[in-house]
Amino acid sequence: MKAIAVAAAVTALALAPAALACTPRASQAALESRLVCIECHTTLDESDSPFANELKGEVARRIALCQTEKQILDAMVAEFGPEVLSTPQTHGFDLIAWVLPIGGILLGAAALAVGARQWSRARNPASVDSTQSPRLTPEDELRVDEELTRFDG
Amino acid sequence: MRAVRVVAVASVLALLGLLVWDLVHQHGPGVAAKVDKGKAVPAPELDLPRLNGDGNLSLESLRGKVVVVNFWQSSCYPCKLEARDVAAASRAWAGKEVVFLGVDAQDLKSSARAYMKKYKVTYPNVRDALGKTWPKWGVTGVPETFFIDRRGRVVPPHITGQASREQIDAGIRRALQS
Repeated sequence: MKAIAVAAAVTALALAPAALACTPRASQAALESRLVCIECHTTLDESDSPFANELKGEVARRIALCQTEKQILDAMVAEFGPEVLSTPQTHGFDLIAWVLPIGGILLGAAALAVGARQWSRARNPASVDSTQSPRLTPEDELRVDEELTRFDG
Repeated sequence: MRAVRVVAVASVLALLGLLVWDLVHQHGPGVAAKVDKGKAVPAPELDLPRLNGDGNLSLESLRGKVVVVNFWQSSCYPCKLEARDVAAASRAWAGKEVVFLGVDAQDLKSSARAYMKKYKVTYPNVRDALGKTWPKWGVTGVPETFFIDRRGRVVPPHITGQASREQIDAGIRRALQS
């Protein structure tokens, strides 16, 4: 029993430098939120299916081998393709997924700005006109005068 | 203002087009439903990387032989239960114009290879990493087994769940006769 304890202590001491060598370690929790269980279409941390558990085990195994977060994600992409990532990649075709919404928002804002400007321009001439009295024709002026004279009289 | 209207109409039309495209490209229930009704239907295309070898293997290259297509996954319990029977059947029918083809889906390569070694699976196996072949075939879970006749048609029976040796042999005999 004493021999086993000594052997365990020696093993732990022997492995300690290796364990320290890969600090900071990749986070299991962070990786589980960045990887998708392609069978159940949820992130690994939200799934408890046999396949998700297998992937979690693979992630844990790679972390124990001191692999970085990027190395592990790259290995998963090599195995299953980019579909295994919970967020699209920021290069290649996947970039569209990031650019399109931002572009859409900018386009919407620009359309709104142009629309608002045109709308206010369309309203302004009317308001300017309303401050000026419409000009009467000589016939109308004569008629107004006649009506007023009749009213006074 | 007119330009904004044109853009709005174009956007709506584009979204409508996308919806129609999606509806058109959706797979129906797959060949499984038709085979279950007793029909013989052309086998969907299957061309995937080999799990136990280099390059791809296509179903087309096996035309002229009866093909037993077995969908499986290493983490699936009924697959493990049937694995030895399927492997034994593949050995028994070897050289009799019958070939077995395993389709491993949504699986780690290392796990799949370990499974094959454990259950002595030596017949050709391909890997469908994302399970994209499933909708075309109408596979809803694993294991599922299909039989393809010499003319490249999927013929009944279609076995869902654990296949017994008797079911596999009966399926092969029926495919050889069709």
